[in-house]
Amino acid sequence: MTDAALAPDRPTMLPRLYAGAAIVVLWELVVRGFAPSYVATPFGIAMALPRVLADATFLKATAITLGAVAEGLVIALAIGTVLGLLIGRSLVADRALRHYVNACYAVPMIVVLPLVSLWFGYTGAARLATIVFAASFSIAVNVADGARAVPRDYLEVAHSFRSSEGRALFEIVLPASMPYFLAGLRLAAGRALIAAVVAEFFTAIPGLGYFILYNSRVFRHNDAFVAVLLLGGFGVGFDALVNYATRRYLPWYRRADGDN
Amino acid sequence: MTITGIAGEAEAGHISVRGLTKRYGDLTVFSKIDLTVRAREIVALVGPSGCGKTTLLRCIDGLLPADGEISIDGKRVTEPPEGVAVVFQHFGLFPWKTVYDNVAYGLRMAGVDAAEIARRVPNFIGLVGLTGFEKAYPYQMSGGMQQRCGLARALAIEPSVLLMDEPFAAVDAQTREILQFELLRIWERRPTTMVFVTHSIEEAVLMGDRVVVLQGRPSHIDQDIDIDLPRPRSRETLSDPRFAELRERVWANLMNEARRAEFQLGA
Ligand SMILES: Nc1ncnc2c1ncn2[C@@H]1O[C@H](COP(=O)(O)OP(=O)(O)OP(=O)(O)O)[C@@H](O)[C@H]1O
Ligand SMILES: [Mg+2]
Repeated sequence: MTDAALAPDRPTMLPRLYAGAAIVVLWELVVRGFAPSYVATPFGIAMALPRVLADATFLKATAITLGAVAEGLVIALAIGTVLGLLIGRSLVADRALRHYVNACYAVPMIVVLPLVSLWFGYTGAARLATIVFAASFSIAVNVADGARAVPRDYLEVAHSFRSSEGRALFEIVLPASMPYFLAGLRLAAGRALIAAVVAEFFTAIPGLGYFILYNSRVFRHNDAFVAVLLLGGFGVGFDALVNYATRRYLPWYRRADGDN
Repeated sequence: MTITGIAGEAEAGHISVRGLTKRYGDLTVFSKIDLTVRAREIVALVGPSGCGKTTLLRCIDGLLPADGEISIDGKRVTEPPEGVAVVFQHFGLFPWKTVYDNVAYGLRMAGVDAAEIARRVPNFIGLVGLTGFEKAYPYQMSGGMQQRCGLARALAIEPSVLLMDEPFAAVDAQTREILQFELLRIWERRPTTMVFVTHSIEEAVLMGDRVVVLQGRPSHIDQDIDIDLPRPRSRETLSDPRFAELRERVWANLMNEARRAEFQLGA
């Protein structure tokens, strides 16, 4: 694979820009023509942007939500990695846990909300629990796949140099499953974000989700939409960050894939 | 424990294989192999592709279970023993580690302290001619360079037994010659027991104290030829008439078998 495939180049940028412009224009026209005046339009959002970005409530909500997502992701990373390595490398753990983990992965995280809000109350802890639940299993499922797919050659070398099983797990299996791990992490980040917002909708604790909910209810849709855009931007940004980190810190990963 | 200590001991690295049979399901790879390799001896193992050379090395390193008995220095091998290092046919480099970290891997696993690792690794990288590539990843290197990196990793733990599976198969002819004499020089300085798999008869005769021919189906040790060429061996060895004689002998041996196989196929 070449660098061109990693960075967006001109020919792919142009259609993207045209499509974006077309969507914005169409949106503006349709809303102006057919919808009530409080419905968000691109122009309205642009006008609201400076005010909202300077609004202390908005900034605090952003910090709270993104902080909770980051915290939840770190916890999910630890849980998901350990679970995934266990299931991927231990037959006993695989037999015991695989179906439960797959089930938890498939269950929409929204269904746990009523439960966790009973256990933790309408607090940040309920949101954190939802994020962890939503994010852990996509990491676990992917890491387990990666751990199963580790070439035997690597493990044989480790064994030959008298590595213990535990050390091989973290020094061989984990780095060799890095591509799967990253795929899981990307999924997890998206799911964590959704979980945070949905938890805020449900429990009405402060955060970006609540900011959107509140502003929609008081018919300030343009303000609400600034938060929506920010969440979208966060998703794109996180992906770009993972991409950058991969290129910077795991230079072997894409190349090695491309060669063999 | 210090790895260097092992080599200092007299007679370390004596390999004894008794009645070894390896089966994969219905396939018997080899049966009733008896092989003794004395300490500091170099045994070159040759034989047609698929006859079980790699399998035999794996068994000796305790990586594969088999029927029969293997012991190194009187200790029965059930798992990879201390002081035994393998140069893998498939290189076995870790793609996420640089040359430096790949070479350091065995030392780290042996619990060698960081200062000693920092002292030893550059030496062995230099020994195989990879100085300047310490920070390179395997994907950035040619097959031959990767193979040399695998060689450095095995040499770095200063083993008393070196099991080498076609260690020069992926390098070009010139590099191969350089490495052959380099390895001989390393051996002169610090003789270790070596089992050396190769497809090159010349290489087998040049390196080995004995050339062991593994063949047949299932394979067995067909010939065990003493190579009584004087050491230290060097480029001159290649022009020794005795060298040519021994090379012809090993060659005739392998050819006979190949003809027999052809005849059986034709019949
Ligand atoms: N894991 C395995 N399962 C089943 N059969 C195997 C396995 N590994 C090796 N074999 C078989 O054992 C035989 C010997 O294989 P081995 O790799 O030892 O041959 P080799 O002499 O090293 O060949 P080459 O010179 O091509 O490297 C082959 O017929 C191979 O198909
Ligand atoms: Mg082989």
